Amino acid sequence: MKAMILKEFRELRRDKRTMAMLIVLPIVLLTIFGYAANFTVDTIPTRVIGPGAEQAAANAPELFDIGEVDAEATTDDALAWMTDNATEVVIDTTTQPPTAYVDGASLFTAQSASAAFGRMGDQVEVDILFNPDLETSWVMVPALIGLILTFIGTIITSIGLVKERQSGTLEQLAVMPLKPADVIIGKIAPYFLLASFDMLVVTFLGVWIFDVPFNGSPWLFAIGAGIFLFVVLGIGVLISTVSQTQAQAIQLAIMLLLPQILLSGFIFPLDAMPTAIAAIGRCLPLTYFVEIAQGIFLRGAGLDALWVPYAVLTGMALLVFTAAVLRFRRDLAPSAHHRAKSKAA
Amino acid sequence: MAAWGAHGLTVERGGRAALANVTLTVAPGEIVAVVGGDGAGKTTLLRTLAGAIAPTAGEVATPALERIGFMPTAAGVWRDLSVDENIAFVAAAHGIAGATLEERRAALLAGAGLEHATERLARNLSGGMRQKLAFSLAMLHRPDLLILDEPSTGVDPVSRVDLWRMVSLAASQGAAVVMATTYLDEAERAHRVTVLDAGEVLLEGAPADVLAGIPGHVVAADAPGDPARTWRRGRGYRIWSPEEPPEGEPRVADIEDAVVAAAIAKGA
Amino acid sequence: MAEPLIHAQDVTRRFGDFTAVDGVSISVAAGEIVGLLGANGAGKTTLIRMILGLLPPSDGALALFGAPPSREGRARLGYVPQGLGLWDDLTVAENLAFVDQAFGSRATAVPDALAGSRDGLVGGIGLGRQRQLAFAAALGHGPELLVLDEPTSGVDPLSRARLWDTVHESAEQGVGVLVTTHYMQEAEQCDRLVLMSQGRAVGEGQLADIVAGTTALAVRTERWQDAFEALDRAGVLVMLSGTHVRAVDADEVRVRAALGGLAAEVEPVGATLEEAMVARERSAG
Repeated sequence: MKAMILKEFRELRRDKRTMAMLIVLPIVLLTIFGYAANFTVDTIPTRVIGPGAEQAAANAPELFDIGEVDAEATTDDALAWMTDNATEVVIDTTTQPPTAYVDGASLFTAQSASAAFGRMGDQVEVDILFNPDLETSWVMVPALIGLILTFIGTIITSIGLVKERQSGTLEQLAVMPLKPADVIIGKIAPYFLLASFDMLVVTFLGVWIFDVPFNGSPWLFAIGAGIFLFVVLGIGVLISTVSQTQAQAIQLAIMLLLPQILLSGFIFPLDAMPTAIAAIGRCLPLTYFVEIAQGIFLRGAGLDALWVPYAVLTGMALLVFTAAVLRFRRDLAPSAHHRAKSKAA
Repeated sequence: MAAWGAHGLTVERGGRAALANVTLTVAPGEIVAVVGGDGAGKTTLLRTLAGAIAPTAGEVATPALERIGFMPTAAGVWRDLSVDENIAFVAAAHGIAGATLEERRAALLAGAGLEHATERLARNLSGGMRQKLAFSLAMLHRPDLLILDEPSTGVDPVSRVDLWRMVSLAASQGAAVVMATTYLDEAERAHRVTVLDAGEVLLEGAPADVLAGIPGHVVAADAPGDPARTWRRGRGYRIWSPEEPPEGEPRVADIEDAVVAAAIAKGA
Repeated sequence: MAEPLIHAQDVTRRFGDFTAVDGVSISVAAGEIVGLLGANGAGKTTLIRMILGLLPPSDGALALFGAPPSREGRARLGYVPQGLGLWDDLTVAENLAFVDQAFGSRATAVPDALAGSRDGLVGGIGLGRQRQLAFAAALGHGPELLVLDEPTSGVDPLSRARLWDTVHESAEQGVGVLVTTHYMQEAEQCDRLVLMSQGRAVGEGQLADIVAGTTALAVRTERWQDAFEALDRAGVLVMLSGTHVRAVDADEVRVRAALGGLAAEVEPVGATLEEAMVARERSAG
């Protein structure tokens, strides 16, 4: 038995990927759950408007981080800010008693905010926008679409590609008179279509079963999902180019998937995380898709409010997908690649 | 000297007979080659001899499990361990230690040409070296019966010769050896050959007896005959005929033709 | 004379400091079966990959159908890799249909032997049949050149004979064949052989030419075990063949000396291809 145990440890030491999982994973999980996993929100970005703005700002509980105080702004301005996600709460003193608009799309923030306002009794009227009953599913379903796309794009795609390499058929494709572009597009397009189909199914089921509202433009959403798909498919292709076996690909994909699930803000609010960890979250594509999906579904936001996540995702898509195609192409047409390089030299 | 082996062995797997009434004996100091294509039943026969599969019918006579050395098809080495660590693990499993281990380890490493690669990870060895290491592991406890499943498949000729030398040496030191192979030039080097086809014994005996044992005879020709009975050897043809050969003529030129002829005769 | 299908002149391929193929010249003409022999690491696979255009040569000239390897050239060749290059999760018919589309060829017939497995998944039909399918797929578009990488490993002798029938038939119709192997029986099926060792072509010609430089002695004795051990200890390259022992590239004097007083019949015999290859490898190393 001693020999068995010794052998197992020696083998594990040599298997870098498994070692990485054994060491990195607990650290990552510990950090995330220790620091980032925070359902209670400590500060809520808040604006105050109307004639009584100054006084309301002074009286607001500490929880509310008062940003702008604008006595001139109107209720319409307040609602526009909320749709654009410019702030989480607006206290509107143009009404009597003042109305507090709370962003129901940010579930935990909204819960904290309404609890705080509740303790103030009749002093404020609370109006929860976008998700009046604070339904968890309303917030989750749009984000879940992103998770499903990530799953298909990263895991399924990389498995499909590595299988081709593992069984030696990738070489066979390379010696067939197929253009590299045909092979690459032919290999990726089915996953793109499958993921798109899944996205439609989840969207319809979400709206139909959970009554999740779809307030924004379906086309804008479709475009966002398409761009996001390019990112995750690209990641899948990249994983496949550095993996020799399907098991390796799955390992790597899980290591990339886990932080996205935890840090994209769809379970734990990004605002409640320490800055450093929230910064990691802001490097992950799913974070931006969640922002887009919740914005379009619940707040009916348009491109003017969502241009930042769109721009970031587009940049990521260009970067990742180009890198993926170039690496894939190198596997398929090494001759052309090398020849081009030697000419350049 | 006791002979090991199987008698009237039938193994059914998934309702299908993987082996049907197969008899094979191997005496100490003897090398028996089990020949056949993929799916002929070689691995099933070897695994039954190694005690890994229970026979449906028939008898198996083998030494106690700890006196058997088994080398599976996909080289039984641990790829993430170094050559030395592989040996250390198997030695510990068999309770071999001290001077005995040192002596055997040195002899096996020298025979395998791995003396200068002891620190190398098994996954970084060439296919041939890995097979030689696997053989060394199967041999480490000096088994009475050595069972080798296609040790030479995918191995280059130089390593193959080393392997054969190691196998021959093991036999010359008294081990009974059963080895599966798909190649007949290897079978010709064994003391006896058992040719399996779809789970049945097609031909059996010393290479010379196998040549004499086929039905009918084979002639060399410049033009093809009945396509079902004709095959090529280089630019010439061989044609099998069910009739007895003319007086004084051999039945067949070599074991390759013998096996092809026997397979055609069986199907005819 | 017609242009050779493959023409490699002093082709070299380096990987960093390592020279995998070192100034090899080889040509394959229409209707010819050329065998490429050599140990693992001799450079066979690297050479094949260069010929297929999967790897550019570091040096030397390489022409496939008279031009550098290209997509157009690939459309005219059929390749059966060692791993067969079939899609396990597709059926027999689907595999052929895909290959037909890739090569723009007419519907390749499912081979007779596979007629019963037409709609079976390739992963479940057994290695022998997979090989037949790989051959059918490689021949379906009527290639002018066949490249076969160890085409018959793991195949029973009759099936192997049938696969070689197919190769010979193709050659007779004018297809050039380049086949790698390290088995004697396959080498003798070839018209011409090129022997590679440590990246270089070290022998070329018919089987007899390759074997010619190596001598072998058959040592027959009652006590073959003792003879084997004695010769092995003396550093003679020794092989067992049934109950006799073969000593390679050693003269009778040396063999007798190694045997000591052991009574044995010593007789010169023709060396096998394998013995020739190992002897060359030994003298090179």
